[in-house]
Amino acid sequence: MLNVLDSAVPVECWSCSIGQSTTTLFCPHCSKIQPPSGGNYFTVFSLTPHLNIDLAALETEFHRLSRKLHPDRFARATDQEKEWSLADTALLNDAYRTLKEPLRRTEYLLKLEGSEIGEEFAGKDKANPSRVPADLLEEVFELNMQLDEMRMARKVGEEDPALHASLTEAKNKFEAMVNDVDQDLRKEWTNWDQSDQTVRQSSQNKMVSLLDRRRYLSNLLRDVTETLGA
Amino acid sequence: MAYSDKVIDHYNNPRNVGQLDKASTEVGTGLVGAPECGDVMRLQIRVNPETQVIEEAKFKTFGCGSAIASSSLATEWIKGKTVSDALEIKNTDIVKELSLPPVKIHCSVLAEDAIRAAIGDWKKKNGVAETADATAAAH
Ligand code: FES
Ligand SMILES: [Zn+2]
Repeated sequence: MLNVLDSAVPVECWSCSIGQSTTTLFCPHCSKIQPPSGGNYFTVFSLTPHLNIDLAALETEFHRLSRKLHPDRFARATDQEKEWSLADTALLNDAYRTLKEPLRRTEYLLKLEGSEIGEEFAGKDKANPSRVPADLLEEVFELNMQLDEMRMARKVGEEDPALHASLTEAKNKFEAMVNDVDQDLRKEWTNWDQSDQTVRQSSQNKMVSLLDRRRYLSNLLRDVTETLGA
Repeated sequence: MAYSDKVIDHYNNPRNVGQLDKASTEVGTGLVGAPECGDVMRLQIRVNPETQVIEEAKFKTFGCGSAIASSSLATEWIKGKTVSDALEIKNTDIVKELSLPPVKIHCSVLAEDAIRAAIGDWKKKNGVAETADATAAAH
């Protein structure tokens, strides 16, 4: 079941002036298309922001709305409505792509709820710009050096079995670390969804650090996998 | 994404790649990462104890082209500068010089962070207190 957003101020439908909605793509009263609104990706699906999403329901709703926005349905509509249907389609696609993918969804919700992540906040944390413990950074850097060494040796047709073994070991360890992060993230999803504002704030901070950590881990994993696989 | 000519130049011919002796008291090491993407960078300086001039700078970056170019440029800029002048370098100067697009701001931030971290490490090793200047510049 979809939750209905209750907090934002409703806007009157341009066509019937009766239906009121902040964010839905169609008027709840007369079903006419509405311009892309000041809502967010969750409200496009008539959801409140939350993290444990019913993916099957999301997909069904996506297909239903996509069909309703199909150009064939606007063949005889006004130019304005045609234009809105295209803009709404773009919004719907972005919203679906973001919400169905767990990490994108988490990042999106965190930004929406005011967590300071993303390019706009690059370099704002002067006390610990890397935002992960120093020993993790050192380990990541050290493994990158070993990968470099391995690539270099390969260029001259050499392969050091000991290096290969230690990188494989590192790969397994880092995979386990990523799994741990994902498990912790899921715990925080539930925690956030079920809690009030004060708990949410600390849960968000935890998720921000988990995502930070995850980026370093998965970056390295990508390169290790690529190099070992080659 | 299209890189500027200057980024491509630094990327193809990175200046000052390498490492300095971490254990030396004249050497400061900064190891930093960009949480925005997970890339890591190490920047090292060798400071003349008499003049406080950075005589040598080396880097090693595991990251995108912009991060490599930013760190390469950073080592060029800080070489020959005193430690306190080097702290004046802002990531925005790097953005301007390399014409980095908005999504690559954090790559330049990484280079600025690396300079600060290297200098911080050198200061700590040599018992130099953080100056009011450096603290103010951190805002
Ligand atoms: S993309 Fe992360 S340092 Fe450039
Ligand atoms: Zn209506």
